[in-house]
This record gives sequence, C-alpha cells and structure tokens, in this order.
Amino acid sequence: MEQLVPTLTNILVLSSMYILVALGFVLLFNVAGILNFAHGVIYMLGGYIGFAFSVVCGLNQWLALLLTVIVIASFGVFLERFCFRPFAGDFNRTVTICIAIIVILETGVNIIGGTKILTFPAFVEGILRIGHVSVSHERIVTFAIGAALLGIIIWFINRTKWGQQMQAISQDIEAAALQGINVHRISAFASALGCGLAAIAGCLMGAYIGLSPFMGDFMLVKVLIVAILAGVGSIGGVFFAGLVLGAIDAILPLFISGAASSAIAVAIVIVILLIRPQGLFGHEMEM
Amino acid sequence: MDMSESLSTRDGKKLTKPAFYAGLMIILSLLPLFISQGYMLHILTLTFIYIIAAVSLRTITISGQFPLAHAAFMGMGAYLSGMASKWLGWSPWLTIPLAALMTAGIGMLIGYPFARLRALYYAMVSLFFGIGVTQAIYAGGIWTGGYGGLIGISPLLPPTTSKVPYYYLSLGLAMVSIIALYRFEFCRIGTTLKAVAQSHLAASSVGINEAWYRILAMGVGCFFVGLAGAAYAHYNLVISGTSFNFMATLWLVMYVLIGGIGHFAGPIIGTFILILIPEFFRDLKTYSPFIYAGTLIIVVYLMPQGLAGLPQMVRSWFTEHRKDKRTVHAA
Repeated sequence: MEQLVPTLTNILVLSSMYILVALGFVLLFNVAGILNFAHGVIYMLGGYIGFAFSVVCGLNQWLALLLTVIVIASFGVFLERFCFRPFAGDFNRTVTICIAIIVILETGVNIIGGTKILTFPAFVEGILRIGHVSVSHERIVTFAIGAALLGIIIWFINRTKWGQQMQAISQDIEAAALQGINVHRISAFASALGCGLAAIAGCLMGAYIGLSPFMGDFMLVKVLIVAILAGVGSIGGVFFAGLVLGAIDAILPLFISGAASSAIAVAIVIVILLIRPQGLFGHEMEM
Repeated sequence: MDMSESLSTRDGKKLTKPAFYAGLMIILSLLPLFISQGYMLHILTLTFIYIIAAVSLRTITISGQFPLAHAAFMGMGAYLSGMASKWLGWSPWLTIPLAALMTAGIGMLIGYPFARLRALYYAMVSLFFGIGVTQAIYAGGIWTGGYGGLIGISPLLPPTTSKVPYYYLSLGLAMVSIIALYRFEFCRIGTTLKAVAQSHLAASSVGINEAWYRILAMGVGCFFVGLAGAAYAHYNLVISGTSFNFMATLWLVMYVLIGGIGHFAGPIIGTFILILIPEFFRDLKTYSPFIYAGTLIIVVYLMPQGLAGLPQMVRSWFTEHRKDKRTVHAA
C-alpha cells in the first residue's frame, strides 16, 4: 500500500514526458508525413543544451529552459527545411538522413559532454508531505509543466488558426494547399513545435533521471511505441497510449526485475497491435 | 511503400558481366596473399558476414515488407548456435546450420501473425519485436550471459593465430548465400513476391496466397541472417546483446539503403563502403563516426538510387548532355 503513491506519481511523470515527446513526433508525422527517427536525439540535445546554459553559463534555470526551447525550435526549422523537405514522401531517404543526424549529434555530444551521466540541477527543491505520504516537489513540477503544456497544445490545435491549418493539412495536403494554406510554413512550424516540446522534456527528464548521450535511443523507442499504439493520424490517441505505456513501465518493474520487465512490456504492446493492427485510435494507411 | 520499386533487371553485355564477376572473385581470393595485417583480414571477414545479413534483409523487402528486426534475427542465430555449442557441447559445424534452420522457423512463426500488418505498422511492430528479443537476451541470466554477453563459445576451427582460414570460410559462405538468394529472387517465387509487393490486392485476385508468400520470404531471409549470426558467433567467440540491438538493425538498413535497395548488388556495395570507409580513417578515433555520417549525407543528397544506381545515373547524364549538344548544333 505504501508503494501506491510513488507508483502513481511515477506513472503520471513518465506518461506526461512520453506524451510530450511523442506529441511532437506525431505532429510532424501528421503534417509533413515525416517519420522523424531523429526525434530521440533532439530530446537528448535539448537536455544537454539546457545543461550548458544553466550549469556551464550559470544562467537561471527557467531562463535556461526558455533559451533551450528557442535554440532547439530553430534547429527544428533548419531540419525541416534542409533535411526533410527535399525528401518529402521518400521514406528510405528520410530514414537515411535521420540516421546521419543521430550519428552526428550522438558523437558530437559524446565528444563535448563525455559519456558520463550528468545531473541537471533540480528545478525546485523540497518534499511535499501529506500525512506519512511524501512526494518530491521535482516530480510535481515535472508533471505540472507537462500537463500544462499538453493543455496548451490541445487548445492550440483545436482553437487557433495555425492549429486548424495543421489539422487540415494532415487530412488532405493538396486540398489544404488549394485553400491557400502555406503548407511549407505550417510544416516548418510543426517541426519547430515538436522539437521545442522534445527540448522541454529533455531538460525535465535531465533533472529527473540525469543526462546521457544515449538517452535519445531509449526515448525514441518509447515515442515510436506511443505513436503506433495510438494509431497513425490520431492526436487524442497519443494521450491514452502514453498513459498506457507509462503505467506499464511504472508497474511492471515492481513485480519483475530489469530487462525481463521491458521484454514483457514490449510483448504486451505487440499483442495489442496484433489484435488491433491499425493502433488503438488510428486508421489503416498505405505508404 | 515505395521501397521495392524499380526491381527490373537490365540485360548487360553478354560477356562483360561474367568477366567482371570472375575478376572480382580472383581478386578477393588472392587478397590474403597481399594483406599481411591480421586486422584488415578480420575486418574483411566481418564484412562478408554482414553482406549475408544485408542481402537477406533486401530479399525480405522485395516482398513489400520492411522488417526492422533483422539484427535481432542475426542475434537469434548467434545465440542459438553459441548456446548449443557451449551448453550441449555440440560441434559448431552442426550447430551453425541448425541455428539457421531454427531462426528460419522462428521467423516464419513470427511472420504468420505479422502477415496481417502492412507497411508502416509492419515495420514498427517488427521493430518492437527486435527490441523484445534483445531485452530477452539481457534477461536470460546464466543461459545467455545477460548484459555481460555469452563467452566461451567453441571456435569453428582448431585455435590458430592466422585469420586466413576464417577469411576463406566467410568468403565461401557469403558467395554461396549470395548465389542462393540471387536464384531465389529471380526464380518464379521471387517474381511472385514482387507482384505481392506491387499490389497485394491484384496479387490475391489472381490466386496468389499473399500471406503464405510473405511468410516464405521471411523464412528465407531469416535462414540466411541466422546463418550469418551463427558464423559470427563462432568466429568472434564473444557475443553480446548490444551487437544485435535496435541501432544494429538500423545499420543493416543503412547498408541496404546506401547501396541501393532497387538493385541486387546494392547491399553488397553498401556493406563494403560503409564498413571500409570508417576503417580508412581509424586514426581519427572518436571523430570517425563523422566520416560515416558524411558518407550517408553525400549519398542521400546526390544519389537517390543509392551507390548501385550510380552507373545508370552517370550514363543518363552523358546521354542528356549529348542530346543537348546535338540540339544546339541543329539550331
């Protein structure tokens, strides 16, 4: 029973981070049709740049977070313009350029930052105690930022002009272009938004579990699981799938240790997908 | 997916092609006479093993499926053979073919439920399967050696310091596998697989059992990649899950894509280039991955068909050029 509260907070924190990173990946996929395998390393890069701003340059934590988001979002625009747009619709070449980006960024961070795990300073100190249950402020803040951002994104996609343009493009790109929507600008924006979200998640997870150059590979797998479990084309499904995966990842290690629990988690996901080949909320699609 | 387009064969001149292949074979078989460094022979041996894996990956893709679990199947072959020889004490000459057959069996068993998935979902679910396999290897405790890897695998040949016998063995294995896979692709079954890839609905409507052919392609591809994995285990003598994880699968995909997925020779060229180029810049140590990434970027921007499509690109560029000249003269 005393494990209930830590497990619940773990589920919430992990799920909100998975959803935050996966949302950027899904937005870019829906709008531009790009399977961005480099999304994991962008998340990693976000964590390291945040570390550079806050620890190496000694800036205020929150200012560092803001600067990181700006830097990574501009990097996202660059990626969309020079790495993804020339190969639109060509799966093979997009995968190749993503691998090149992964190799360059991982090696670069490895050389500059070293292979050791760096610890990002906590955004807030302290522990919240209610009765004999205690939760660290860090987790609460991580979850609160994640939840607030997700709320803003939902509002943005459904209520603003740019968000609705994104939805229009993901439904039918040619019809959207005929209505006068600037497809390139919107996909550049989706890329910037997705990379910015990944950067925030990178900084928050850096404070939560530490930074390593290979944290991106781990997150990429989680993001792919969430996106496919949700079903291609579904943004609402990402929330549900993120919660499911967060719950699986937080609960299974209580019963089975280490690698066996990840193997079983993956097996559960495969079984779900074999029963529902189009994902939980998606539709069948041809590439 | 447009991965298996442009699979047509071009009929070259009748004698130049066999002469080219014969020359290549003679060079490769005489190479150990000129290379005295053991390290270079080691790299070439590994290259031949990875060529088998890359070519077998391409064989599966001609059926319109794009599996992202190929390194996991290689690991399956390696671990099955390594464990059989270590724990049961069987001879590697027996365990290598057995492991390949078992990998093929597992591939076909997996292929049965996976046959209902298509395109992106197929690729992604097979990717998750590969991750599950690596995690299962880590979780295997004493049987698989866990995170530390499996050590103490019995070697294929009595212990020698020379790499030359292994070089010839892997060259022979790669030759046999390549010829077998070539025959498979250009026989009736291979043509049927291409038909399934182009339109599964049209293929089904003329009476082709789509699911069975996709499972068959999976079985053939997994047999050869299991063979490659088992050979790797008994050559390297130490195997660990990290050699067969998700990133290893992506390297295999890179070998195929950089070489050119539309050509049979593509994966062979791609594997050679991508393994040997970073080796030439080994002095740069930590910076050598940048060379690798640079190669990927050059190929992806300049050669849409991969390296194997380069001759055709050059030829069409020349004919275009000549045509331009002629029109200028006419004007």
